[in-house]
Amino acid sequence: MSGISRGKVILSLRNITKSFTEDSKTLKVIDGISVDIGEEFVAILGPSGCGKTTLLRIIAGLEKPDGGEIIFTSKDARIGFVFQFPTLLPWMSVLENVALPLRVNGLSWQEAKERARKYLSLVGLASFEDFYPRELSGGMRQRVNLARALAIEPVLLLMDEPFSALDPLTAESLRSEVLDLWLWGVTSVRTILMVTHSVDEAILMADRVIVLTARPAKIAGIVDINLPRPRDRRSADFQALEDKVYELISS
Amino acid sequence: MPLYTMLLAAATASLFRMLAAYVLSVLTALLIGSAMAKNKTVESILLPILDILQSIPILGFFPAALILFVTYFPERIGVELASIFLIWTSLVWNMIFGVYSSVKSLDPSYNDLVKAYNFGHAARFFFIYAPVSRRSLIANSLVSWAGGWFFLTSAEVVSLGSSEYRVTGLGSFIIEQFNSGNLLGFYLGVALLLLIITLTYFLIWNPAASKNLGLNLPSFTAVYDKIHDIVAATWGELGELSLVVEKRLKKFEKILGFLIRLSILVALVIFALNIIAGLGSIGLPNFLPKMLAVLYEIPITLSRIVFILLLSLSLSLLVAFISYRSVLLGGALSIIGEILASIPAIIWWPLLAAIALRYSYGAYIVSLIVFLQGSFWYLYFNIIVYGLSSIRKDLEELSSVYKIRGVPFIRYVFVPSLLPSIANGALSAWGGAWNASVVAEYVVVGDHSIDIGGIGALLNRLAIQGDAEGLVVSALLLSSVIVLINKTLWSRFFKYIEGKYGGED
Repeated sequence: MSGISRGKVILSLRNITKSFTEDSKTLKVIDGISVDIGEEFVAILGPSGCGKTTLLRIIAGLEKPDGGEIIFTSKDARIGFVFQFPTLLPWMSVLENVALPLRVNGLSWQEAKERARKYLSLVGLASFEDFYPRELSGGMRQRVNLARALAIEPVLLLMDEPFSALDPLTAESLRSEVLDLWLWGVTSVRTILMVTHSVDEAILMADRVIVLTARPAKIAGIVDINLPRPRDRRSADFQALEDKVYELISS
Repeated sequence: MPLYTMLLAAATASLFRMLAAYVLSVLTALLIGSAMAKNKTVESILLPILDILQSIPILGFFPAALILFVTYFPERIGVELASIFLIWTSLVWNMIFGVYSSVKSLDPSYNDLVKAYNFGHAARFFFIYAPVSRRSLIANSLVSWAGGWFFLTSAEVVSLGSSEYRVTGLGSFIIEQFNSGNLLGFYLGVALLLLIITLTYFLIWNPAASKNLGLNLPSFTAVYDKIHDIVAATWGELGELSLVVEKRLKKFEKILGFLIRLSILVALVIFALNIIAGLGSIGLPNFLPKMLAVLYEIPITLSRIVFILLLSLSLSLLVAFISYRSVLLGGALSIIGEILASIPAIIWWPLLAAIALRYSYGAYIVSLIVFLQGSFWYLYFNIIVYGLSSIRKDLEELSSVYKIRGVPFIRYVFVPSLLPSIANGALSAWGGAWNASVVAEYVVVGDHSIDIGGIGALLNRLAIQGDAEGLVVSALLLSSVIVLINKTLWSRFFKYIEGKYGGED
């Protein structure tokens, strides 16, 4: 088990706990999670409904934890969030959808659109800026979702099962595009935290995989993925890591 | 002043009054509707209040209009504001509920979006809540616009006891011309009114519905396109402006929030104190007989309304089936419906005065027409405009493959497909009929007054006696009874329809 992050620490979680109350029953979903995240690509892996999405939402500030601390070490704590579903505004064009968060946070429309254009072309949608969401395919909408998150130039990028709502072929090509953007370092992103329930996806993409237990979520183990990229799913090393992760899940 | 000048002045004044009330309705609907959908406290306070207010007939708002505006403003402005306020009360409620349900049914992931990207109140309102309400606002505008014209005369001639206030307008013009025996003026007024109503539908509402709701209503789009551009640009500027203002005010956010909450609280306390003081001044001995009178009159009106609803239902199903068979006929029927629905109620009385006064049952026949007019169109609009487009293509194909035609088709495919819109339409028609009772059960034509009893007639008598407290108490009691019936009978009916015919998704 490896609890040591790579590079300088960007984000520290200290003993995060969270419960939900439903029909007067209290359900503990997160039970004391502590981890340091550096400048790296981390996958959070766990069975469905284990609270991994809740953990991500707590880090994003969408929900408050019952206990524990979230510490951002960098001064600029901008966070980008890639939603599971594209969540685009149907009455706005692709360009406006990406520019809106920038406009709302202080840029003029002109500046916001200029920057939105840059990130739309990074995700390969430069020629679609005047399209409306309903005119795009599922994969393209998810790219807009990604561009919107990148455009606010975050240090930390959170992704909530970003490929799970796509068909397998589209998901695979978007995975390699995200990896390319990450490896080229063309964006402001220093750290990616991705929630997934696919062991294969986690090992294919991440530097470290945090495996969570079933509800309430605790850290079952952390697996370092020291494979060179691009990774080959059929290689013996990949298979060995898969076995290791599955062992952690079933224990 | 020559007749034509008077006529033009009256028409212009009425049109502007309607526009002002409409713009006001859109703004209040957006603000109140989205606040209710997003804030649990606001929702729990306003939802029951709006339920009650929605069922209060326009006469019940007379005392409020006069007290709020005529007392505190210079008379001419006060009366004008009171009139706009009264039109607003016949436009706004369904629009508020429309916005409320649109924002309420917004996918929860948009909540995460606005939080994750730090959207302020202004940004949420202008970029999310307002656009998501657009379709339901337009759908409701079609109905509200007709409802506004229907009660126009009631809003332009406000009388309570000995005090009567009139504003220049088509509604008051038409009634004055008739009462002074000037039939040419009367017919010209009615004709101009119909022309204005027709034009507004052809030029504005039908194009709006065709472009935004995917309906196919007869329309000319050129004027609408211009209006749309102007409205969109103004709205956009307003949005940008409020973004800037909100950013500037951010420093004072806490103080402002506190002040707003404080002022709402103070307003509520003053309101409650006034009601308690009002109830106290009426006194229980006066209060009870008034309530008993209301409870005595309600069943009379109720029996009329049940009859009207059944009649409306059969008529609109018949028309729906005809227009289902022929698209051309359907378009023609929908525009006729829009115009007829908008004819101010009181016009029927002078128009059909000959029948009403000559025969012994004449008054009942005219009353039936006015009642029908205040309720039939809700069913009609819902079935023709929204229902017919919801009949599924695959069921039509199924029927043609298995040769299901005629009565079996109507019974097993046509009516069940329409049931959700029939239920919606019937609920609105029911509310509309209660509101129409104040113009259908009592009227003064020239020197004659026609009174066929019922709760609507009672409210009119109270207004003529100038019994403001009695009027408010009776209107509130009536609306509580309506809400009670809605919450018990109608909600069960809706659950049943929704469960059985609501569709698979």
